[in-house]
Amino acid sequence: MNLGKSKSGAAGLINVWTIVAGVVIIIGGFLIGLVTPGILPVQASSEAAQVDELFRWLLTIGGAIFLLVEGLLLYSVIRFRRKPGDDSDGPPIHGNVTLELIWTGIPAIIVLFLVIYSYSVWVDIRAPKSDEMVVRAVGQRYNWAFTYTDPLNRLTNVEQQTFTDSVLHTYVGRPVLLEMETRDVNHAFWVPTMRIKQDLLAGRTTTIRFTPTREGRYRIVCTELCGGGHGAMYSFIEVHPDETSYLAAFIDPRVDLILNPPADPVLQGAALLAQNIYPCSGCHVLADEDNGIAWSGLTGPSLQAIGETAQRRAGPSGQANAAEYIAHSIRHPNDYIVPGFAAGLMPQFGPFAQQPADWSASEGAYYYPMSDDDLVRIVSYLCTRTSTGENACGEDPVERDALIQEAVAVQREQ
Amino acid sequence: MASISLPMGQTKAAPRPKLSEYLRWSVDHKIIGVQYIALALFFFIVGGGLAMLIRAELLTPAQDFMADGEAYNSLFTMHATIMIFMWIIPMFAGFGNYIVPLQLGAKDMAFPWLNAFAFWLLVPAGFLLLLGYFVGPAATGWTAYPPLSVFFATDGQTLWAISVHLLGISSILGAINFIVTIMNMRPKGMGLFQMPLFVWAVLATSIIQVMATPFLAGAVTLLILDRVAGTAFFDPSRGGDVLLWQNIFWFYSHPAVYIMVLPGMGILSEVLSVHSRKPVFGYRMIALSSMAIALVGFTVWAHHMFTSLQPELRIPFMITSMIIAVPTGIKIFGWIGTVWGGKIRFNGAMLFALGFLSMFVIGGITGVMLAAVPVDIHLHDTYFVVSHFHFVLFGGSVFAIYAGLYHWWPKITGRLMDERLAHIHFWITYVSFLLTFFPMHLAGMQGMPRRVAEYAPEFQTMNILISIGGFVLGVSTFIILYNMIWSIYRGRISGSNPWRALTLEWMTTSPPPAYNFRGEPIPYDDPYGYGTEASAVYIDTMAAKLDAPFMVAPKGDSAGKLETGNQPAGD
Repeated sequence: MNLGKSKSGAAGLINVWTIVAGVVIIIGGFLIGLVTPGILPVQASSEAAQVDELFRWLLTIGGAIFLLVEGLLLYSVIRFRRKPGDDSDGPPIHGNVTLELIWTGIPAIIVLFLVIYSYSVWVDIRAPKSDEMVVRAVGQRYNWAFTYTDPLNRLTNVEQQTFTDSVLHTYVGRPVLLEMETRDVNHAFWVPTMRIKQDLLAGRTTTIRFTPTREGRYRIVCTELCGGGHGAMYSFIEVHPDETSYLAAFIDPRVDLILNPPADPVLQGAALLAQNIYPCSGCHVLADEDNGIAWSGLTGPSLQAIGETAQRRAGPSGQANAAEYIAHSIRHPNDYIVPGFAAGLMPQFGPFAQQPADWSASEGAYYYPMSDDDLVRIVSYLCTRTSTGENACGEDPVERDALIQEAVAVQREQ
Repeated sequence: MASISLPMGQTKAAPRPKLSEYLRWSVDHKIIGVQYIALALFFFIVGGGLAMLIRAELLTPAQDFMADGEAYNSLFTMHATIMIFMWIIPMFAGFGNYIVPLQLGAKDMAFPWLNAFAFWLLVPAGFLLLLGYFVGPAATGWTAYPPLSVFFATDGQTLWAISVHLLGISSILGAINFIVTIMNMRPKGMGLFQMPLFVWAVLATSIIQVMATPFLAGAVTLLILDRVAGTAFFDPSRGGDVLLWQNIFWFYSHPAVYIMVLPGMGILSEVLSVHSRKPVFGYRMIALSSMAIALVGFTVWAHHMFTSLQPELRIPFMITSMIIAVPTGIKIFGWIGTVWGGKIRFNGAMLFALGFLSMFVIGGITGVMLAAVPVDIHLHDTYFVVSHFHFVLFGGSVFAIYAGLYHWWPKITGRLMDERLAHIHFWITYVSFLLTFFPMHLAGMQGMPRRVAEYAPEFQTMNILISIGGFVLGVSTFIILYNMIWSIYRGRISGSNPWRALTLEWMTTSPPPAYNFRGEPIPYDDPYGYGTEASAVYIDTMAAKLDAPFMVAPKGDSAGKLETGNQPAGD
């Protein structure tokens, strides 16, 4: 079969088949491109719609090339297989300049088109939007913490002006600008339904912008290997239907909690843990629906009945009581490792005064300062985590509070 | 069209080489070539075993197979490191070592001692890597990003870094040897554009190795210093920068992927041409496109960093990454043009070469998708990327390695592999490969990140299918290993040129004598000049000269019947 130009009738037939094949390939490419919505997640942001459209073009063009190449191969292996007994060579064809120009030029044009199209989508996605809600995000092994300010400025006169949650709260139509930092290694913030991703880089603040367009709760996935718990480092973005429900369901209750904190240290401790001020949720298991705690970590022991556990282990590990055991475990995490778990993973939540200059020099994975006040609150809450409902640190509130204060104070000397 | 003009009776088998010859230091490129191949195949099994463990863990969404997440992380870290540095790169070094001097009609490589030294560096390198298992193996991915690899890694990470140093030195020394050999030791009449395309491919690969690998050395040196000497190259709290690692590392590691695929593309040109009995279509373009890929390959590295690189720089790297699709496309269409109109023989080599074409095009298409920045933002660090690079590295490079093994096994051992087993090997590999890696595209697009032992439950069904495919793919490796060993003892004697090919390695006995050729070898003026009377005469004359001294009378009543050494099953 001669691939050069020919003016014979046979060549005319070949040209017809070429055109037919070309049409089939282009239509086939379009059909393949149409599966795009079926293979990508739901679109929850305005960026997603643009990215998906670009992807559909890529899949269409890629699909057409796929059909072309595989089609030519399939045709070749059928049509040009060696016939039994034929040991002769094929025709000595070395090339064809026209064909080479075509299959260099057409891909070059396609590439040019894709570059221009991709560039325009990129410029659009990156552009700052008006009235962006700025949320600060911190990633750490292995959880996410998002810090909010009150849009109604009700916290201007109190000490705590921001509040944190492990869930990212937004609402439909409001552009978001995330300013992100990491406390330890590089992480990456990815919301598959929104098609946005940005690395968190140690030593830098990185940013990502997006505009949610669909109500719902969507997964946030860490996409930069950060250690043994990388797969467990996920959270959620909650897209409320509008600003009103966002305020009512999320902002107002949290502002209220700050303006009118509960006197009970147990409730204060629950609030601290629920707000993800400290990165416990990434590793531990703890469920307390009433207080908004739903942790399903993998790399640390369950705290569901920690009160009882503390009572049982206090004596054998040299601690005076359950409160001391819990406080000690937080201040000195490597002193006792529950069988089946690994040492060196839990941060050391030491006092501010003893924070080392080198953040990686600590008894645990790294040093994370925690005030005595916060430790008291957290221990108070964890004492209530028992299967029986009893308080592991004593039933009388006054005695219990004194016990817990003492337990925390003792840690300073150790 | 010429046909075989001389009866080729059974040739006498060459004496089987002694195992001890391959276990000791030798400066003979053929022995070194086999040493590289054997070591690489060993590590292919080790790396494959690690992959089986990965797939076992991923049968369920929970992390419940390995001891803990860190142990799982070491699986893919060591899997990738071993597959890249101890399987693909040494395997192609082995092919290059064995075949390039032969294709150039040379007696050996330019620097035989350096050749042996480069090989033997792999032994302590592999040893150090495996030693990591005693102190806590590297578990930060083969990409070893700081701060994870500096502050949160075990001593195995340091051993890994030293091992990479040794592997890099081996790579550079081998490459220097190839460049000097190819530029200086071609026979009379073989200008650059009369060289076989495998030689072009090795030349392009070697240029990349020499230019890029020193950057890897720089990167791991800084990593070792940060880990053991308290320096702060990558510690932002003391003036360092984590992106420094990423840029230096990828400046090598992107060209590295061309190191891993260009020799395979060279093998493709050889196999497709010989086994369709047709010249390579567009020889010059295929040769020059290898060089173009080598050069342009140095301009694309930050497409691995689209989610960490400063946003302003992402578009330039998108442009360069898209550009590199063009020379790749030239090759693919050139290869299709090669088989088009030919007389295709479906032996093991050809099956895997065609398999390469059909799988590599998919990898190339997903590569262009990943080059588009807005799309990569969604797909980066997901299973889509895992799928892409396995299509080009397994569906591409490994298939090419299989093709090369089936094609050159007769030259190396003097025996033919069993063709029926080759067909079984191909189909099981091809189908299980697709089952393993194609669904990964979907998993990534739909939200599954890479490097995780725990994943969202909705991905379980897909992961089970992938794992089943993976287990079958793992087992399929043993088919060719068995075939290789079986053929050494029971394979049909191949003779000097069972494929009736035109390149010089076939113009000597199988296996070649110690100094490769008797007298000065005279190359045919076109390494792919099939389809002419002159080429057939050249082949027949050479075969008659080479095999006649070894011919034995055919046994029993097959005396007088025409017997050739190249009858693939089912043809």
